[in-house]
Amino acid sequence: MSFNAGKFNPSEWSAHVPSAPTDDRPEEVKAEMEFGKLTSQKWLATAKYDAKKSFKAPIADDPPYFVVIMTYLNYLVLILIGHIRDYFGMFFTPQHFTAMLSKNGYPPWYASFESFYPRRLKARMDDCFARPIHGVPGRYTACFNRISHDYNKHFLYDGTSTECLNLSSYNYLGFAQSVGKCTDDSVAAVEERGTSAGGPTDVSGHADLLRNTEKILAKFVGKDDSLIFSMGYGTNAHFFTSVLNSKCLVISDSLNHSSARFGIRLSGAAVKVFPHNDMVALERILRESISQGQAKTHRPWKKILICSEGLYSMEGEYCDLPALVSLKEKYHASLFIDEAHSIGALGEHGRGICEYFGISASRVDIMMGTLTKSFGAAGGYIAADQWIIDRLRVDFSTNCYGEAPPPAVLQQINTSLRIIDGQLNGDEGKERLQRIAFNSRYLRLGLKRLGFIVYGNDDAPVIPMLVYTPAKMPAASRMFLKYGVAVVIVGYPATPLISSRIRFCVSAALTKEDIDRILAISNIVGDKMCLKFGSGMAGGEKHPGDWKKGIHPRWSLEEVLAKTPEDCRKEMY
Amino acid sequence: MDTEPRETPQFIASLAAILAELWYALLELFLKVPGGALVLDYIRASHKNDPWRTLLEILLALVAIRYFLASKYSQDEKDKVELSEREVDELIADWEPEPIVPPLRRDERWQLDSIPLINGAVASVHVSVEDPKSGEISDNVLNLASKDYLSMSSNEVVKENSIKEIRAAGVGACGPPNFYGTQDVHVRVCEDLARFLGAEEGIIYGQDYCTPTSVLPCFLKRGDIVIVDGGVSLALQKAALISRSDVEWFNHNDLDHLEEILENLEEDLADGPLNRRFIVTEGLFENFGDSPDLKRLVEIKNHYKFRLVLDETNSVGTLGPNGRGLPEACGISRDEIEITIGSMAQALGSSGGYCVGCEDMIYHQILSSNAYVFSASLPPYCAVAASTSIHLLEDSQEEGKINPYLRPLVENSKHLHQLFRDSKPLRNLVVVRSADYSPVVHIRLNPDLRKSLGLPEGYGGPGSSILNAVKKGHEDLYFDSLYNTESYILQQVIDQCLKKKVLITRTKRVLHQELLPVVPELILHCNAKFTKAELDHVYKVVEQSLVSTFGDITKEDVAKYTSVLNN
Repeated sequence: MSFNAGKFNPSEWSAHVPSAPTDDRPEEVKAEMEFGKLTSQKWLATAKYDAKKSFKAPIADDPPYFVVIMTYLNYLVLILIGHIRDYFGMFFTPQHFTAMLSKNGYPPWYASFESFYPRRLKARMDDCFARPIHGVPGRYTACFNRISHDYNKHFLYDGTSTECLNLSSYNYLGFAQSVGKCTDDSVAAVEERGTSAGGPTDVSGHADLLRNTEKILAKFVGKDDSLIFSMGYGTNAHFFTSVLNSKCLVISDSLNHSSARFGIRLSGAAVKVFPHNDMVALERILRESISQGQAKTHRPWKKILICSEGLYSMEGEYCDLPALVSLKEKYHASLFIDEAHSIGALGEHGRGICEYFGISASRVDIMMGTLTKSFGAAGGYIAADQWIIDRLRVDFSTNCYGEAPPPAVLQQINTSLRIIDGQLNGDEGKERLQRIAFNSRYLRLGLKRLGFIVYGNDDAPVIPMLVYTPAKMPAASRMFLKYGVAVVIVGYPATPLISSRIRFCVSAALTKEDIDRILAISNIVGDKMCLKFGSGMAGGEKHPGDWKKGIHPRWSLEEVLAKTPEDCRKEMY
Repeated sequence: MDTEPRETPQFIASLAAILAELWYALLELFLKVPGGALVLDYIRASHKNDPWRTLLEILLALVAIRYFLASKYSQDEKDKVELSEREVDELIADWEPEPIVPPLRRDERWQLDSIPLINGAVASVHVSVEDPKSGEISDNVLNLASKDYLSMSSNEVVKENSIKEIRAAGVGACGPPNFYGTQDVHVRVCEDLARFLGAEEGIIYGQDYCTPTSVLPCFLKRGDIVIVDGGVSLALQKAALISRSDVEWFNHNDLDHLEEILENLEEDLADGPLNRRFIVTEGLFENFGDSPDLKRLVEIKNHYKFRLVLDETNSVGTLGPNGRGLPEACGISRDEIEITIGSMAQALGSSGGYCVGCEDMIYHQILSSNAYVFSASLPPYCAVAASTSIHLLEDSQEEGKINPYLRPLVENSKHLHQLFRDSKPLRNLVVVRSADYSPVVHIRLNPDLRKSLGLPEGYGGPGSSILNAVKKGHEDLYFDSLYNTESYILQQVIDQCLKKKVLITRTKRVLHQELLPVVPELILHCNAKFTKAELDHVYKVVEQSLVSTFGDITKEDVAKYTSVLNN
């Protein structure tokens, strides 16, 4: 449905993003739009790892050669045309290049090559990025309708918006809600405590709400104590300077998030990168680094920190935690796990990657995570042993210079954590956890069976669907939007050049019927845009061993919908 | 070996024929490639003139190919020591890493307890404070530790609008701004900030402390020049450091020194490429509570064609008749300041950071500022809270008058400064470092007193033992005993004040992260909601504590404090 649909009037288009229209639907309707009711007890699953099996990295299916060649050609044409337009544009229409040309003796704001990619490639699909929304980014999200007359330089809005099924927000457990216990508590927090934290924790004070939430969180992840900060990115960006110096080494996964990379760079520590999830390479680097010591001087490293993520947000893959932990212990290194996407989303009780693999949290030195994704709040945390947290509490620069998290955000974390943990609202937390597990498994298997190439592990709530050719990214995004589904598209530089993808972020707020709808729409999009390249090697075949015979999984939608909801709960692939 | 000599020529001949055929086929193929004929003609022509040149060019091409294919780490490879597997295993068994962080020393533990434990609202004027040891709660403590200068955090309109937004959109934004994390209220607050401060556009960040370290590196790369005031806060120090540009420091607020540096640079700059050039300073210094002479600074930067980065974290909402920051106070247009960075977590009573300036500059951040691109958006209700504060300030402004929201703050700041400046009992004990208009009162020990106590002029900074220890990675030497003791003595003053229901604070600095020298200070944050009587009381309490702690302090007393900490 859309807001004010009757009011649609082109003469009222404005360059300003409109403000949210008033929504006077009854509360039950709103609640249903934010978090769909569970339609059947059948549509639940448990995300649990079978410890008897050794960790198997998910198989990444390869596209046919013609797709690879077309993708490169696509980029080649885009880059060539981009350069031609730049060359003539700067000559004939310098008014469009003011930021890149020097003026009155002032240097340009940025060099034209620095911004070539965003201007010449990304700008073509800018309508698929930063779509302004209003209201709760829950099961549905309301996107403002907009058009552009000048190739996405400016947008015009008519004040209406469309409610789209939301596969784009990080709302794993569906806590993005405007009704319910969490919201009531957060509202009470604003009433009692105001809107601001008043300054840095160490200076302005360590509030009881913050202390209490830190303790609850630490207990939840299985550590002694924790620190909570107002920004997830900032947690990583300023953590490493507190523990590392130039005589320390970080061994970092090649796909680690930009915030950790920024933090490591700021700390001045030496960095070695191992290929994503390649434990053999990690061991080789560890052996070599310890035996060779620091560059040139060959003195031993003061510390070696292995840095990995629990769940990689672009790939939907877990880290190989059992191997990481055993390597770290074998070589006496320290282990840092960024649980930005895994906390709350993985494990039977939502305690993250450690619980999922059945590994005690005490075997990971530093557990970092964000509070945006599963808890419907904002911020980040560091959880560790008491003596580490004691040191960090006085030495973490954000505690002395940056704002503490504001009260309502803390309350949201506090209440949602207690719901997940079963202390509040009975089985609500359990239901949310089982719904996200089911939804993730169902959508992933369904897409594979339809014939798409999908990356990632079975239980991961991030489902990247590969489209390869850059031109298909915006096309698919627009088509999904037309059918009323909001999806995120990701391409270079966030992914390797050729593997542009659509990323579905699954939420517990979605019902099984919503997933049916997404599969149906994906089927149409996939057929229309020629996106079904799956060979079956990563799963989705009708009979085991089919892909070796060269039979590709291309189930019809009816077959998928009929069988997958049951099948996805079994250990099929 | 024993092949017959007669057969060899025939074999070679047939081979040569095949090779020649292949060669021609290759040439033909090459000609079919667009541009192939051109290359062939070039080689033919050059070869005719100078066969050596062809050889040289081929060699060059080979070297180039080798260079591109060579491993990036070849330098390290050469540096490596050859070790057998057994030797490697032995070295691994021998290796003993340091603990992930140095455990808190016994004499540092007091710092943990010095963080005030607040129950209930942290930012309000009166708070209840819990004693970390006994758990006793003292209510109704006057709070001079909060940076919510205008009490916007507890303003009823701000709260009401925030609650409305939570009821409409929930708490979290659940996504980065470029992926469905931009809500209408985020766009509104950017517009509000830009309009309020008089800039073209604005952009918001999730945390104030992350803003400078993300904004500056967007516009500063290797080879660019940045001249930074030698008194800026840690966030700006880190921002300059991480950008990898050439950093020059000028003495704090010493614009003559700045001009001198610029003059010396001018010749080099005239010859070199037109790289990006910035001057970085603060509107109201976090470390000093004073401001630069903006009028002259703007003249200087315009003369030398540098751009100005002004960090208004402390000054927006507190300086100028309507809280528009230092430029409003100095009567200078915002257009003169190319990049303004600020915080919504202080006077605006919300959360997050922002940057305002011209459209081109902001647009570039949307795509390449790390903390914007790779982080979730600010919670929508925080955006609403900041917007509401701005609207409150704008709606009550009157031409030629001080804004009613700011007037009490301005008066209170002046009054509190006056009390400390005119104080007779404190004359020889402390100096007030901050300017009278600053809402933050910075109180330092009198330099003469510090000298007589054997305390250094400052701790850390260039050439200090701590920065050397950081360079060498000696974590056990990150600790400065005298700094620890001086901070501890100041904490005694704070604790005494707290007993009399006045909560003040002191500079909390992470010494080994600071690039610039640090002097411990007592900090009092003023608030618009304080009454004169309350401030007089605050002054009395602080004065008494200062006198009782420092009244007749000697060098031996300092040593005694140090030994107390060790027991």
